[in-house]
Amino acid sequence: MTAMLSESARATSAAEARFRINDPNSRPRAIRVIALDWPSEAVVKRLAQLPWASATFLTAVASVPRAGERFSVQGWLGDLAGHTKDLIGEIDSADLVVMVATGGENVQVASVIGEACSLKRVMTTALVLGATSISDAALSQTLAQLRPWALMLVIASAEEYIADMLAALRA
Amino acid sequence: MLKKEQNDLLTQTGPGTPAGRLFRSYWIPALLASELADNDCPPVRVKLLSERLLAFRDSQGRLGLIDEFCAHRGVSLWFGRNEQNGLRCPYHGWKYDHTGQCVEVPSEPVESGFCNKIKLKSYPLVERGGVLWTYMGPPDKQPPLPEWEFVLVPSEQSFMSKRIQESNWLQALEGGIDSSHVSFLHRGDLDSDPLFRGAKANQYNLRDSRPVFEVVESAGGLYIGARRDAENGNYYWRITQWVMPAFTMIPPRGNHPVHGHFWVPIDDENCWTWSFDYHPTRPLSQDELRAMREGKGIHVKYLPGTFRPFANKDNDYLIDRAAQKSGRTFSGVEGIAMQDASLQESMGPVVDRMKENLVSTDNGIIMARHRLLRAVKALMDKDAVPPGVDIAHQKVRSAAVVLPPDQPFMDAAKEALAVRVGIAHASV
Repeated sequence: MTAMLSESARATSAAEARFRINDPNSRPRAIRVIALDWPSEAVVKRLAQLPWASATFLTAVASVPRAGERFSVQGWLGDLAGHTKDLIGEIDSADLVVMVATGGENVQVASVIGEACSLKRVMTTALVLGATSISDAALSQTLAQLRPWALMLVIASAEEYIADMLAALRA
Repeated sequence: MLKKEQNDLLTQTGPGTPAGRLFRSYWIPALLASELADNDCPPVRVKLLSERLLAFRDSQGRLGLIDEFCAHRGVSLWFGRNEQNGLRCPYHGWKYDHTGQCVEVPSEPVESGFCNKIKLKSYPLVERGGVLWTYMGPPDKQPPLPEWEFVLVPSEQSFMSKRIQESNWLQALEGGIDSSHVSFLHRGDLDSDPLFRGAKANQYNLRDSRPVFEVVESAGGLYIGARRDAENGNYYWRITQWVMPAFTMIPPRGNHPVHGHFWVPIDDENCWTWSFDYHPTRPLSQDELRAMREGKGIHVKYLPGTFRPFANKDNDYLIDRAAQKSGRTFSGVEGIAMQDASLQESMGPVVDRMKENLVSTDNGIIMARHRLLRAVKALMDKDAVPPGVDIAHQKVRSAAVVLPPDQPFMDAAKEALAVRVGIAHASV
């Protein structure tokens, strides 16, 4: 007599895996990738050359106000072609905002993006590159500027990680 | 999401495969020392990295790990007679020593030297910390013996168990570095399991089910920091260590022992989950050892005479829907280890990662895959020694600490994340 297989034993066989439904189980996510400093802008420009389904690449490097200027959320965020973008509008239509920073750089602008994401309840991830080539103190300074605004913070040794991460997130 | 070819590359570890070559760069746990306790004891079948092997301890105590099958007619040497410094096939009497060298073919004249021409594939097998370790790579690239802290502390300070997990190794490993599931799947056990309960930090876990994560590359793998709110504006950090390819160390709780895992492929659809507990500065108590043997903490109860968990897929993991409904257990499965294993096995033997929808908090998993792929490529293209082989990468600890909000865990906990002989682990 053959023993009856349990529900779990039957369902987890390799043969049963063939019957899994193959229809798409998600819709594209809108991901905004924003460079926070000049070295990161170069990275983001290279990333933007790859084929992406739902990622938009932006830069906030021109945002740091000069002495005597007041900061404004209008007109400081741009796309890589140099067109001005509206921060709130971009964040409002995003599912995830990825901020790209370089260790040792001033990335105070993260607070503005982070505030907007917090207001609009949008998930934030910050990626820090170039951490191995600077002092711990310089890295700490960059991290301190990012930490309050990043719900996930990644210190990566290779630029390629960002592409891998975006692909993993179906960008 | 992972492309099919990337998924295949990381999940296939048999001979000749790229990830198989990666695993064959390391010393990996093969058996508990207690499985070959005495000289001339019965041999033990071992399948590792899709290779069927046989382990035995000869009359002089020498350990052998050789091809399971006799070179003559392909009989399993598991039936062999372990006698007088060798394993003799019961079919026609061919005899092999601990290196797999055939030393006797009774049907052939001794003078012919025929037996010298017969040698089974074999691998080194070395006892260290209650575990028999093997290295299955090229002999000229054999690294130094492993120096994980749990194998170096006195034996009364550590406990090791293993269990069969019926899934590919990678989905088991990914469970080990997925810190965000603890507040859900294991929430019923933090205050009840004898190897977890009583730690002040449990309250941080239970109060804050949405931790903030930081993933930082280390020389050997990753630090995965999970940050939760503590008192007075401070943060409670739990920092998990992953060392390539398959070692994880879970952050400690209170003065409980530290624990962690190795996930070692048996074949592409099964793996060994090795689970260790140790305390760096004191012997484990009788209560702790009893709890571990009874399957508490990260250990399991077994089907008698096997390393298969008592709760397994054949009995639907003894799922208790009433306990699930009442909240005593979150999934209805009893015990931390089987809560994890039941869900990981439910994905199927090798999960199709094309269909998954990872989110930002899965960056630990994404980074681990990225580093594994990078290491495999460097190994294949440049013969580069992968991270984790260097014993310096093995001298690490997990940690649980409370830090002021402006302190990066990497700086503040730098000492706590390294082995400090004679000093207890950092825990809350």
